Parts: sequence; C-alpha cells; structure tokens
Amino acid sequence: MTGTPDDLVIRGSHVLDPTSGLNGTTDVRLSDGRIAEVGENLQGTRRVDADGLYLFPGFVDVHAHWRTPGREDEETIASGSEAAAAGGFASVVMMPNTDPVADRPVVVSGLLRRVEEESRVRAYVSAALHEGLKGERLTEMRLLREAGAFCVSDDGLGTQSTGVLRNAMLYAKSAGLPVILHCEDHTLATGVVHDGVAAALAGVPGSPASAEDVATAMALVLTAETGAKVHITHVSTALSAALVGFFKDLSVASATADTTPHHLTLTDELVATLQGLYRVNPPLRPEEDRLGVGDALASGILDFVATDHAPHATEEKELPLEEAAPGYLGHETAFSVLYTELVQQEKLPLSRLVEAMASAPGRWVRGAAYGILPGAPADLALMDLSEEWTVRRDTLVSRSSNSPYLGQRLKGRVVGTVVGGELIYNRMGAKVGARA
Amino acid sequence: MTARKGWSALHGRDFLTLQGVSRDELKEILNLARACDTGLSGRPLAGKTVCLAFFEASTRTAVSFELAAKRAGADVLSISEKGSAIQKGESLIDTVVTLDALGADAVVIRHPSTGAARSAAKHTSAAVVNAGDGRGQHPTQALLDLYALSQALGGFDELMDKRVAILGDILHSRVARSVVPAFRAAGMEVALVAPATLLPGESEAWGLPILSSVDDALGWGADVLYTLRLQRERMTGALVPSVAEYSRYYGVAERHLKECVLVMHPGPVNRGVEISGDVVLSGASLISNQVASGVAVRQAVLALAVGAVERVAA
Repeated sequence: MTGTPDDLVIRGSHVLDPTSGLNGTTDVRLSDGRIAEVGENLQGTRRVDADGLYLFPGFVDVHAHWRTPGREDEETIASGSEAAAAGGFASVVMMPNTDPVADRPVVVSGLLRRVEEESRVRAYVSAALHEGLKGERLTEMRLLREAGAFCVSDDGLGTQSTGVLRNAMLYAKSAGLPVILHCEDHTLATGVVHDGVAAALAGVPGSPASAEDVATAMALVLTAETGAKVHITHVSTALSAALVGFFKDLSVASATADTTPHHLTLTDELVATLQGLYRVNPPLRPEEDRLGVGDALASGILDFVATDHAPHATEEKELPLEEAAPGYLGHETAFSVLYTELVQQEKLPLSRLVEAMASAPGRWVRGAAYGILPGAPADLALMDLSEEWTVRRDTLVSRSSNSPYLGQRLKGRVVGTVVGGELIYNRMGAKVGARA
Repeated sequence: MTARKGWSALHGRDFLTLQGVSRDELKEILNLARACDTGLSGRPLAGKTVCLAFFEASTRTAVSFELAAKRAGADVLSISEKGSAIQKGESLIDTVVTLDALGADAVVIRHPSTGAARSAAKHTSAAVVNAGDGRGQHPTQALLDLYALSQALGGFDELMDKRVAILGDILHSRVARSVVPAFRAAGMEVALVAPATLLPGESEAWGLPILSSVDDALGWGADVLYTLRLQRERMTGALVPSVAEYSRYYGVAERHLKECVLVMHPGPVNRGVEISGDVVLSGASLISNQVASGVAVRQAVLALAVGAVERVAA
C-alpha cells in the first residue's frame, strides 16, 4: 500500500507493544501525526531503517520537575523536554512546586504557552492542589482546569491534615481533575535519609518508613471513601506497595500508583557515602523494600514507573546530606537503568517494563488505550538494546547533572523518539532515508 | 612503614572517622600521643599552618585543638561561626577553599551537619581533621577517651576484654558513633543503655546488647560507665518524660560506684542528669583526665595528618 507524501515508515524494527499485543519484526507507517498502519513492506515518502532496533510506544512520565518558572538555571521547558526525548519519553507531566507555584490559572496558562513554544514532547501541567502547596486553602480547580491544567498535586510536601485532604479529593473529583499524591507524614519524616542501619551507623538523621506508610494508608482510605481519581506517586516501601494492593483487592475505589527507577535499583547503603548527591525524597530504602517494590511493579500492584526527574544545581548537591536538595535526574537514564538492572537480571520481563513506562501511564494520562494502534497518536520510542553506554555529565542533555548513576555502565539506549509522527530525537544519523 | 593496608582512620591525609579503625592504628596514635604528652616529640608542626574552622559552638574541643597546634609549633588561625556568616554548607565549602588558598596545612572542622568534614575534604589539599560533624563522628574525642582510660587502667593492652556501657542519648550523639568502633577495636565489649527514643531506629545495626538502666549495666559487668550528654531541650517532652525519670534509670549516682567501676563523660556534664555531682568529684570519675588527654592526642592527630611524623605501625 502506498502512503501519502508526508508519511514516515519505520522499517524492520522489532515492534513490542503490550496494548496491541505486537511482538515481532514489522513495519509501521505514520501519517498525519498518527499510526496509519502496521504490516509488511510498507511504503512512504520518508523511512527509517530500523533493523535490529526495538520500537515501543513512546514513554510517559507523570512526574517531572522542569523548574520553570523560577529555576531556569536548573532546567527549562526546552531542556527538560530534550532530556525527556533523549529518554524515549513522548509525554511528561510537570509538577507545580515552582516559583511561583502553579496554583493560579495565569501561571498555568503561561506555562502552557511556553510548552507550545519550547517543548519537544507533549507536556501536561499539574496545578497545585492547595495554594502554595501548603495544604490549607483549595486552589481554584475549575478555573485551573479551564486554563489547561491536567491534574492537581501538592507534590514535594504532601497534605498533612486528613480532613483537608479529604475535602481536596472531593473537590478535585467534582472539578474533574485527577490528584497525584506525595504521601509523607511530616511528624514522622524528620530526617533526610531512611532511618535504617546505614543511617544509624553514619549518624545521619533518618525518617522511618512509617512516614510514607501512614500517609499512604490515609490516602487509600480517603480514596475509597471519596471515589476521587487518585494516583500515588513514588511508592518506595514494600508496605506501602502492599497497602496499594490491599485496596485494589477490595471492591472500593482504589488509587493507582507508581514507583521510580531509583527506588527500584538503589538502596540506602549509599547513605554511607555521606554525599548530598544521593539525597532524595522519599529516601532510598533498604534492599527488602527495593525488592518488595520491584515485585509489586512486576505483578501490576504498582501500575507504572515515573521518574520524579528533579534537576538541581551543583551547589545544591555538593553538600553534606542534611544540607543538600533532594532529588535526582530521571528522564535520560530511566529505561536504560531498568533494562540493565531488572530486565537483564531477569527480574522483570521486557514487555512489563514497556507496559510500566508506556502503556499504563499512557492510559492513565490519555484515559484511553495507549499503544501502537491504527488511528492512535504516533508517539514512539526506538531503542537499541545492544548499545552499551556510560552515564557522564557530558552525555546528559538536562541543564543539571545530579544523576545518581554518573559513571555507571548501562545497556540499552534510546536512539529515536517520535512525537505526533515526527522524529524529534534522533541518534541514528544517516539511517533516515528520503524514500522508502 | 609498609602499605596503608588496614589504615582506615587515617585514610589518605584526612582524619574523618573511626569507623573501621584497627587496633594497631589506635595503638600507634596513642603511642604518639604519649610522646607528645611527655614532650619527646618536639615541635613537629613548626612552620605549618593549622586552621580551626568551627561552625558550631565549642569550648573544650576548640581550646584543646588550639593548644595542641600551638604546643606542636604550628601557626594557628581560628574562625568561628560567631560574627561571621559561616553557617550554611555553601559557605563551608567556600571557607575551606579560602583557607586552602591561604596555604593551610591542616583544617580542623566542627560542623552541625553529618559528613561536613568529608565534603570539605573534597575541596582542599590541606589535611582535614574532623572535630565533630552533626551526629556523625567525633574521632579525637574517642581517642582521648581511650588515652585517658588506658592510663587509668595501666596501659592500652589492659583495655582488652573490659566491658564498657554507653549510656544516654545515643541517637543524637557523634561521640557514640566514634567511641563504639574505638572501644571495640581496642578489644572492649560494649553495651548500649538508653530508652528506645534515644536510640537509632536500627540500633541493632551495631550488634550490641541494649540494656535499660545503670543497674542493668552493672549487672552485665560493666567496668566503665560512659555517659553521654542529654541536650537540655530533650530532657522533657516527647523523647524523655522528665529529668527525674531519666536520672533514676540512666543517671550514674553514688550508689552505683563499686570497686573498680570508672565513670566517663565527654562533657559538658549536666550534673544531676547524666551523673550526680558527687560522682563527678569522686575518684571513679575520669572526666578531668579525659579533658587533660585532649591536647596530647590532638597534637598526635595533627602531626600524623600533616605528615610531620613517620607512621610506625605494624
């Protein structure tokens, strides 16, 4: 079949898409920003020879900090979206803990204008759930939605009062906005690392796992009661994951949940380094939690992966743990880290990783099936699973370099990212031909 | 001397932690301290510049380091948090870089954040000596404790198999995190005595017995009661209900003094809280011996850190 003049055909890649069930070598033709067809020997005006590469649906990251407005020295919408594209992400949700906080319609509409101008990928705005993320006064959620907000969140802090959170869930539900929750009880979370063996020996103030577990339990109970569309982000303990599973097994409204690449691959042993680079919130947990969270991701109790991409300037990281800013870069290393540490170690099937990075978060964001389906938006990630690379400051396109994986050798790397039918990130060079 | 194998405390030039310290290392430092104490070491720091950067209030440690550096012949430069803007970590690094540029041979750092000395060490070619970092380490305190205790018992080898109970606020104590590995490396048996609110969440990480009163510690066979300071703001409230209850169970009183039990405290003492006033003044107390040991021990540490003396360990 012959395509229209603007068609792009990706030829000969191994297409793996849990939503459509595709898992084999075939061609994919893109037209008008959408998937036109999947099949053999497809023709188009432009082609990508992708022999030996894997083609996945484009990844979706529901948790990113692009530091705009306020800390454009750390990341901008342009640089954040380039980092996302370099990691195979076609869609990203930006968190509202900026300066000013995205708690007013004018901030949200301003951000969306910048997205239009600067972003290489689809970028969604999470507005604040409460003014200033303070957990007191509700934001104008219906006006925020009209201004283009996609969801609401007090990420970075977490709502402390149970009553306040319940009202916020009810109001968000009536405003038609999903809620992303950062679950943390501040009366328990008084430290800067996990309160475990490493913290005890090193003498770094620790926060117990209960700081997360208690808040997660509270959020799940309130979700069941209010029926709000709630997503719990960066689950880091085995018990919190189990609580999510417990509520999913009941016939009540239940929250979806994600965990991060770093909680799936790193542990609190890094506390012993005393390096501010490794500070992150929720903190890295012991091996039992890392394994528990990994099992919950494999079984689907945890729905998907989100990176919590959190750029920080060097001077905020080259400090003792207690004084460093929490957070890691995430977009550019997410797939490679999880492919290397989980898929290659046979802890997670490749198809489940693709589902956790693309199909499941894509379905959550789009509210519809997300995959390589005729008629669906053409968002794709092209991967070389055999390429080995080392994470270095100069390989990162983010404006910041606070990756906990610096120096690490990884296997599998993004070679191309397609958003709306356009190859917006391309490491294949001459491989894109003019004529199929 | 041969390779650095086993040299954890004096890793490279810096003196940051006693975690992983070996018996031979301790013995060597204490031997050198003895030489300093008796004036045999001369002025090993002559021509060297030692900077004291104290980002947190300190009396005995600051004075002791200053005296040690001066007795060993160094030029001493001191900056403290009072009257300057040095409180945040950013200025910690900037301060260290400045001292480096001024030609410091050693920088002695006291700082409220755990790991501050280690962070500082990355930004200077001077030897960094940790004079207390957050809840992390206070290595020279533990060394002077060992020095004072060795002298009281008749020599370093006498520490072997002795039992020491560490009492009080272990959770917030950098002293605890240095004396535990130091006492153990010296061959002593160690127990912790504290309520769960003053112990780290994973206090079993040390693999030590955890006891619940001074009486229990004596029943366990403690030869030494090592008490820790309880900060005033922690004496009443959510961690400890009252001074009366705390001192009843975790305070050392005269009735606890039996033959041979020794009482230590890193200072400053809250009399009537960790230790009763008469115990402080009794023959069982090594508190002033501890303070007196500080100068010689810190002379030894500074001399080793700047490479002014040869290491002689096995």
